[in-house]
Amino acid sequence: MSQAMLSNPVLAALNSGVIVIDDEYNIRYVNAFIERHGNMQLAEVAGKSLFSVFADLPEAWLKRKLMSVLDLNSPAFSSWEQRQYIFKLPHLRPITSSSQYMAQNCTMLPLATEQHEQSLICILIEDATDAFVYQQHLSRTLIELEKANRQDGLTKVQNRRYWEEQLKQEIHRAQRYQHSLSLILFDLDKFKDLNDKYGHLGGDFVLVELASFIGSLLRDSDLLGRYGGEEFGIILPDTGIEGAEEVAERICQAVADYPMLFNQQTIRATLSIGVAEFLPKQHFLHDDLIRCADMALYNAKRSGRNRVCCYQSGETDYHKKAN
Amino acid sequence: MNKPGFSEEQRDCLQEIINVAMGLASDKLARFLNTFVHLQVPSIALVGAMHIPEEFENRYQDAEAALVSQGFFGNEGVRGEAIVLYQMENAHKISALLGYEAGDVSEIEMLTDISSILTTTFLNGLASQIENSLSYSAPRILSSRHGNVADVLKNTSFHWEHALKVDISYQLIDHSFNCDMILLIPGEAVSNIKNILDRILEAY
Repeated sequence: MSQAMLSNPVLAALNSGVIVIDDEYNIRYVNAFIERHGNMQLAEVAGKSLFSVFADLPEAWLKRKLMSVLDLNSPAFSSWEQRQYIFKLPHLRPITSSSQYMAQNCTMLPLATEQHEQSLICILIEDATDAFVYQQHLSRTLIELEKANRQDGLTKVQNRRYWEEQLKQEIHRAQRYQHSLSLILFDLDKFKDLNDKYGHLGGDFVLVELASFIGSLLRDSDLLGRYGGEEFGIILPDTGIEGAEEVAERICQAVADYPMLFNQQTIRATLSIGVAEFLPKQHFLHDDLIRCADMALYNAKRSGRNRVCCYQSGETDYHKKAN
Repeated sequence: MNKPGFSEEQRDCLQEIINVAMGLASDKLARFLNTFVHLQVPSIALVGAMHIPEEFENRYQDAEAALVSQGFFGNEGVRGEAIVLYQMENAHKISALLGYEAGDVSEIEMLTDISSILTTTFLNGLASQIENSLSYSAPRILSSRHGNVADVLKNTSFHWEHALKVDISYQLIDHSFNCDMILLIPGEAVSNIKNILDRILEAY
């Protein structure tokens, strides 16, 4: 078999589309891949306009590309990442892919012809559906990963790293737009006793239950995060100290009145809560605001637990640490 | 540093080939854009690829910049990777010239189109002079906007030994834009290119 004769069966077996057009956009050749996927025969489309055979083509866009191939005698490209497909062709994974049409990488090449002969362009179409499907999986996974990266594994509220990032942003916003902003820090009273009495599973259960219950008491804009162990924080945008204290009192009361059923035993828990308002002239860093709320929290512990304390301006030292 | 071993004659020859290639490219561009393109003699430099990031660190530090890469390969072991670097500001200028309208195509497609045109017209001109012909991979964005250019270059140029740096500056009647092109060439391709240059030098 001569080399020229060999190229025909190879072109027929090729798992890529080949279309050859002339400089008037008339089809000169399509290979078996295009015949099969496009449901057409070379004999019936030869000599017809590319744009009449494939009626859905982005004509203006494609003409500009093809024109540059002819004028510059250099290739042009189109990637599925920018344009999912140029030719509406079915693909071979109709079940596993959410996309209806074959994602394509297309290359438009100038074909060398004799002088005085009409210029030809070869359009190569590669099926990129697999890459498209993987990319979709990847995007979905990244979204899930990002969510997991923000969440506390046990209680599903924001984890400390993400919550602190949010606090920094809210402080920035409060400074820029001169909005008020308050912070609540709360801690489960005598959590160690709960763990001793009900075991660590019981302790974990209380954390999960309370995080979800307290979350349900908040506005959409309030941001609840687990600060560490049995300590949590709530960022309250657009809220002054009075409003924050009111929220804190409501949470304190509601938790005290909220019996939790664990292994046929009713567990009751109480909270100590510290509240502080963001003061632009005193709090230069988010740490300063956390420290103020933390001081108020320990005051609440020291003065008997199951209560709310607000940070008093001027307090500087920690009272003796209590459980 | 692994010094690229080009003799002075080879270097002159390469500069001449690049000048002509640039001329051919700008001629084609002028016809395509229907405007007059004035071209400055491109300055070229051969450097070890590892020194490429520091060469460009300052120029592309602050502004929004884009990098687009395109592989090329031809006969006689000529192969490498072409990287076009430009400020986004310049990219917008040329996209207007190419007839793109805002919202017409994505920014990424615009960038890859421009880069592909600049790279392939130039390299085709180069290839025709050394009686070669090149194939190209599809252009790929390495980074755009806020990516750190030097970091991206570090990760890319790492794979190559030599780099041919070509400063390109096109001026059109109403507009001017400039960009940098880097041709990253692996060691064995450099010796192949040297052989080709020697053959050309012999013919004269």
